[in-house]
Amino acid sequence: MAEFSWDVRSPLDRALLAGPYGAHGDAGVTLTEIRNFDLVQVMARRGKAVDMATVAKTRFGVAAPETPKAVHTADATLIWSGPDQFFILAKNGKHAMDWLVPTFAASGSLSEQSHARALISISGAKARAMLAKLSSIDLHPGAFAVGAAAATSMDHTSVTLWRGNDRDGQAVLNVLVFATFAESLWHTMLDSAAEYGVAIAHSEELT
Amino acid sequence: MAVAQTNRLGNGGLIDRSAPLSFRFDGKSFSGFQGDTLASALVANGVKLVGRSFKYHRPRGILTAGSEEPNALVELRSGSRREPNTKATTAELYEGLEAASQNRWPSLRFDVMSVNQLFAPIFVAGFYYKTFMWPAKFWEAIYEPAIRRAAGLGRAAGVADPDHYDKAWAHCDVLVAGSGPAGLAAALAAGRSGARVILCEEDFAFGGRLLSDGGTIDGLPAAEWLLRTLAELAAMPDVRIMNRTTLFGVYDGGTYGALERVNDHLPSPPEHQVRQRLWRIVAKRCVVAAGALERPIVFAGNDTPGVMMASAMRTYVGRYAAAPAKRIALFTNNEDGWRTVETALGAGLQIAAVIDARPDISSAHRSLASKNGFTVLHGAVSGVDGGKDGVRKIAVSLTGGARAEVEADGLAVSGGWNPAVGLTSYHRGRPKWRDDIAAFVPDGAPPGMVAAGAANGDFGLGACLSQGFAAGAAAAHDAGHGGKAGTAPVADDEAFSVTPLWHVAGKGKAFVDYQHDVTASDIELAQREGFESVEHLKRYTTLGMATDQGKTSNVAGLAIMAAVSGRSIPETGTTIYRPPYVPVAIGAFAGHHRDETFHATRLTPSHHWAAEQGAVFVDTGLWKRAQWYPRAGEKDWLESVTREVKAVRSGVGFCDVSTLGKIDVHGPDAGAFLDRVYINTFSNLAVGKARYGLMLREDGIVYDDGTTSRLAEDHYFLTTTTAKAGLVMQHLEFCRQVLFPELDVQLTSVSDQWAQFSIAGPKTRDLLKEIVDPTEDLSNEGFPFMGAREVALRGGIKARLFRISFSGEMAFEISVPARYGEAMARNLMLAGKSFGVTPYGTEALGVMRIEKGHIAGPELSGTTTAADLGLDKMMSTKKDFIGRVMAGREALVAPDRQVVVGIKPTDKARRLRSGAHIIPKGQTPGPGNDQGYVTSVCFSPASDQWIGLALVERGRERIGEIVHAHDPIRGEDYDVELCNPVFYDPDGGRQRG
Amino acid sequence: MRIVCPFCGERELGEFTYLGDAKPVRPAADAGEDAVYDYVYLRDNIAGVMSENWYHGGGCRAWLKVTRNTLTHEISAVEPAAGAGAAKVGA
Repeated sequence: MAEFSWDVRSPLDRALLAGPYGAHGDAGVTLTEIRNFDLVQVMARRGKAVDMATVAKTRFGVAAPETPKAVHTADATLIWSGPDQFFILAKNGKHAMDWLVPTFAASGSLSEQSHARALISISGAKARAMLAKLSSIDLHPGAFAVGAAAATSMDHTSVTLWRGNDRDGQAVLNVLVFATFAESLWHTMLDSAAEYGVAIAHSEELT
Repeated sequence: MAVAQTNRLGNGGLIDRSAPLSFRFDGKSFSGFQGDTLASALVANGVKLVGRSFKYHRPRGILTAGSEEPNALVELRSGSRREPNTKATTAELYEGLEAASQNRWPSLRFDVMSVNQLFAPIFVAGFYYKTFMWPAKFWEAIYEPAIRRAAGLGRAAGVADPDHYDKAWAHCDVLVAGSGPAGLAAALAAGRSGARVILCEEDFAFGGRLLSDGGTIDGLPAAEWLLRTLAELAAMPDVRIMNRTTLFGVYDGGTYGALERVNDHLPSPPEHQVRQRLWRIVAKRCVVAAGALERPIVFAGNDTPGVMMASAMRTYVGRYAAAPAKRIALFTNNEDGWRTVETALGAGLQIAAVIDARPDISSAHRSLASKNGFTVLHGAVSGVDGGKDGVRKIAVSLTGGARAEVEADGLAVSGGWNPAVGLTSYHRGRPKWRDDIAAFVPDGAPPGMVAAGAANGDFGLGACLSQGFAAGAAAAHDAGHGGKAGTAPVADDEAFSVTPLWHVAGKGKAFVDYQHDVTASDIELAQREGFESVEHLKRYTTLGMATDQGKTSNVAGLAIMAAVSGRSIPETGTTIYRPPYVPVAIGAFAGHHRDETFHATRLTPSHHWAAEQGAVFVDTGLWKRAQWYPRAGEKDWLESVTREVKAVRSGVGFCDVSTLGKIDVHGPDAGAFLDRVYINTFSNLAVGKARYGLMLREDGIVYDDGTTSRLAEDHYFLTTTTAKAGLVMQHLEFCRQVLFPELDVQLTSVSDQWAQFSIAGPKTRDLLKEIVDPTEDLSNEGFPFMGAREVALRGGIKARLFRISFSGEMAFEISVPARYGEAMARNLMLAGKSFGVTPYGTEALGVMRIEKGHIAGPELSGTTTAADLGLDKMMSTKKDFIGRVMAGREALVAPDRQVVVGIKPTDKARRLRSGAHIIPKGQTPGPGNDQGYVTSVCFSPASDQWIGLALVERGRERIGEIVHAHDPIRGEDYDVELCNPVFYDPDGGRQRG
Repeated sequence: MRIVCPFCGERELGEFTYLGDAKPVRPAADAGEDAVYDYVYLRDNIAGVMSENWYHGGGCRAWLKVTRNTLTHEISAVEPAAGAGAAKVGA
C-alpha cells in the first residue's frame, strides 16, 4: 500500500520568491504572504442577526463587526465581509469549522474558506503608493484608519482589505484574495511595487 | 559638431546654462540647455521650418509654446519608441534626443508632395466625400491606399512599445487644474484650510504665464513669490503638487482623468519605472485654473514659418531666452499683444512695426513706439511674403484702404484670448459668449467644479489671484474644511481691451485649422453648400478634428461661419466638448493590462503539477486549464488526446475540474430556493445524494447546468459550469435578495476552497480503494450512482466524494481543500500507478462528453430550450420556477425547432468541423434551407471516426437521414448522417456498474 | 460614476454591475402568460429618473436599488434590495 503525504501548498508557494525584488536600496514595500490560516465565513440566518452577534460576543469577547471593520481579539480577527456576514480568521484550528458549526448552529450559516483565499500583508513607506495602483479605495490614514475594512476589488479581482495594527510606526494593510487568482494578483502587486523596491517574505504568523 | 545656438539670448531665461544638451533634428546635430523644450531649443538654434502640413505639405514653423500646438509635430525617438505627432512645444529636451519632422518626402526642405498645393482647388472641404464616390469598387483598391500614403500625421513605430505604463487612483478634497497664479492661489487657500489638495500642472515647471510674463505679487517679483508659494505648498502634508500631469477628462461623480508623463523627459524610463501613468482622481471639489489660449487671426500666409502667437514669442524670449526672430512685427487686436513688444525690446530685439486692428491705442504705447523707433499701423495683415525660410515681408491693409509693407523676419499675432473651457464643458456644457473679451467663458460646470482666473475669462493677474484664492477657500469649505485660509495674494490687473477680428480678406490661403489644413475659404464653401451647423461644419471640413482638437482654430472657425451665415457668434454656437483634452496613449489606458497580463489569470490547484507533467494549457475564460498531456513520441495533439481517452475507457484517468463554480447554499429554505431556480426539484433530494439540475433564464432559454448535492438538511453544494460560475452566483444572489427575499437562504462562493478532480474509468474504484480509508464502503450498494458524502483519505485528511459521471464511465468526483490539490494529483498518480492511471485534459474530457451526447457550452448557446437539449422531461409541473411560463410559449415549443442530434460523416475517414451548416441533401445551400449547424465535434476513439453534435430542425425525428454539411468558411461540403447523440454505451451500464 | 453602497460607502462604478429597471415585479406563479410576458419583455427606457437594479459584485455582493437620472447620471437614492442585509428581519 502506498504512503500518501498530504503536504500543503499555499497558492503562492511557487510564485513567491523570498528576498528583494525590483529597485535596489531600501525596500519601500514589504509583501508578506501569511500561510496556513483558518478562515470561516459566517452569514446570519433570517431573523437571527442578534442571536449571531450574541454568540460571537460570547465566543470571542468582542462584538462581530456590523460595518466594514476588522476587530482583533487575542486569537482571532473578525472581518466584515458584507451585510450580515463576517470572516473569522485564526490559526491552529482554534476557531475551525468543527468548533464553530455547533456554536453558530441556530443562528448562522458557515462556510469553510481556509483554502479559498491567500492572505497578503503589505507594509512599508510606499505601501499606499503601490496600493493606489490596485485599489480604488481611499487609503489615506484619515480615511482608512486602523481597523477599517473593505470588501472591494483589485485588478478586477474580489478582495477583502483591512488595516491591521501599525507595525514600527507604519500602516499594515492586509488583503485576502481568492486562491485561484492569487498568483495573478501577486504578479500585479510585484509590478506595481517594483519601482519602490520590494522585500518579499512569507510567514505563518497572523499579524 | 553641433551648430551654435545662434538665436540664444545672452542672458535670462529659466534654462540651466551649466547643463548643455545635444540633440538631433532630422539627422542634424544641435545643442540646447536643460529646461528647454524641443521647440525652444529649435528656436534657439534659428530653426524655423519644423514640419510639413497634413494636406498641402506646406512648410510650417512653431506657432505656440504649449499643448495647443498644431504645427510643430514631430516623430520623437526612434525604433520601437518612435512616437509620432509629438508636440515639439511640450517635449522636454534631454541629452541625445532624436526627432524627425513629419509629412515630408524625401526631405523637409524639398518635399515632393507639396505639389498638392498646385491641386489645392480639389482639396476643398468635403473633398473625400465628393471625389471618391464613384466607382464604388475603386475605394478599397485604389483610393484608400493612395490617400493613406499621402496623408497621415507621422508614422507609428510598427513594433510593440517596450515601455510600461500604469494606472493609479488618487483621492482629494480639492483638485486644482493648472499652476498659474489662479491655480496656485486656489491650492494655497484650500491647503491652508486643511483640505487634501491635488494640483495638476501639465508643464514640467509650475507657474503658468508667470514663467513668461512675470509681474509683481504681494510686492515681490513673480519668480520669488512662485518659489515661496511652492515651498509653502510642499510643506503641507496633504497637498500634492504634480507636474507633467494633464487633467484631460471629467467623469461622473467627481472622477477625473489625468495623465502623468512620468518619464517622457528621459530617453527611456529608468529600470522598474513606467513611462506614463494614468490617474483616476476622485475629488469632492475641483477648481479649474487652466488659463486661456491666445488665438490666431486668419489671414493669407498666416502659416508661414516665423508667424507665431504673440504670447508664445514672449515665452520663447522670456522663459527660454531664445529669440524666434531678430526683427519682429506684431499684429494684434488687443492690449495684451503689446506685452510681446515690451518683452522683445527688453531682450534687445528689434521691433519692425505694430499692426493694431483697434481704432485707438494708448498714449503709453504711442510713446513706446516713438522712443524705440518703430511705426504703429492701424489696420490688418493681409498677406505674408516668405517661404520655408520664414517670413520676409508683411503686407498690411491700413484702415481707410491704403496698403503698406513691413520688412520683418518674425510676426507675432494676437487675436485675443480664449479661456480653456474644455474641462468645464465635458458634461455637455455649452460655454457662453462674453462680448467684453470677445470669447466664450464657462456657463456653469459639472457638479463640484468651478473655473477661476483666465479660465473664467478674467485675465488680469490680480483677478486671477483673488478669484483662485476665493475658489480654493470655498472648495475647501464645501468639502468640510474650515481652517483659516489667510489673505489672498495681491497684484495689479493689467488693462485689457479687444476689438474682435477673425479673418482678414486677402489673396492666398488663410488657415483656420493649421493641423488639418482647413482654410477660411473651406468654411465659406461649407456654408454655401448648406453645412451651416457647427457640428456639420466640423465634420464636413474636419475643422478641429486633428489631434490638437482645434484648440487654436475652433473659435475662429465658428466666428467665420457666423460672419458668412449672417448670425452672431453665440447664435452659431460651439460644438460639444469631449475629453480627452490632450491625446492620451492607449498604453496609458491599458496600463498593466497587456500581453500576458491583459487580464487576471486563474490557476487550478494542480496547475504547477500539470505544468511539471508537460501539460499544454488552454485559456478558458480567465482560467488556464490543462488541455492535454503530450508524451514523448506523440506526433500531434490528436494522438495524445486519443491515448488519454482510451486510457480512461479501458483503465482509469483523472482530470482537474476545480474550475466548476461551487456554491454553498445554506439555510432552512435552501431546498425551496433551489426548486425555484432549477426546472427540477431539489427539496426532495435525500441527504447524501447528488442530482443534475438545469436552470432557465426567465425568458425560457437554458441558462446553466450542473450537479447539486445535499450535504445536510440545510446545506446544499451547488456546481455551475466553468464559464458561467460568476454569472450564476450573481443570478442566484438576485433571486435571493430581489426575487425571493422571503426565503431564509444564504449563498457563499466556495469555488476556490475545493480542489476537485474527476476520476473516471472501469478501474476508478480500484484506484479509490488505494487512497480512501479502508473503512469507507465504495461498493455499488455502499456508494451508489449519484451518491455524495464526506470520506476519510489515507494519511488523515477528509475529502468529499461524489459519484457522478460526465464521461460515461464508472466515475467519481473527489474534492479536497485546495491547498491539498497538488498533493491530491500526486497521490492519485501514486494510487493509480498499478492501474496505469492517466491524467487527462479538457480535450479528452470533451471527447468523452461528446461520445456520451452530454451537452456543454456550445449547446448551452443562449438560444436553446430544455426540449431542444432533450431535457424537457426534467421540467417539473408541480412547482413554479424561473423560466417556467415563458418556456411554454409558442415559438419555444414549436415542432420545427433545432434540437440536439448526433452526426457522423458518411465518409468514415472525413474530419468534421464545428460551425458547418446543415442543409437537406441535394439542395443548394442558402438562408432559405439552413436547418441548423454543427455545435461540437471530436475524433471518437470508441467509434473510430469523427463524430459530432448538431442543432438540427426536427433532428430527433430524422435519425438515419443523410443531410449535407456546408462549411463556407473552410470551403468544405460533405454528407453526414443524423444519429442518436449518445454514441457510447447508450444504456448507461458502464457508469452505473 | 460612483455609487454610495449602503453597506460599503461610496465606490467606483467598476465594482458594480447594472441589470436594469427595478420597477417590474415578478408575477405570482398563477399570474398567467401575459403578465410574465409583460414582466420579461415590456420594459420602459426612461430618459430621466429611473429606479434600477445594481449589483455590488466587486464588493459586498449586495443587490441595490439605485435611483438615477439617465440623462445626467445623478444618483438621488440608493437602497438595499429587500433581501440584502435583512437578517435582522424574520423570514
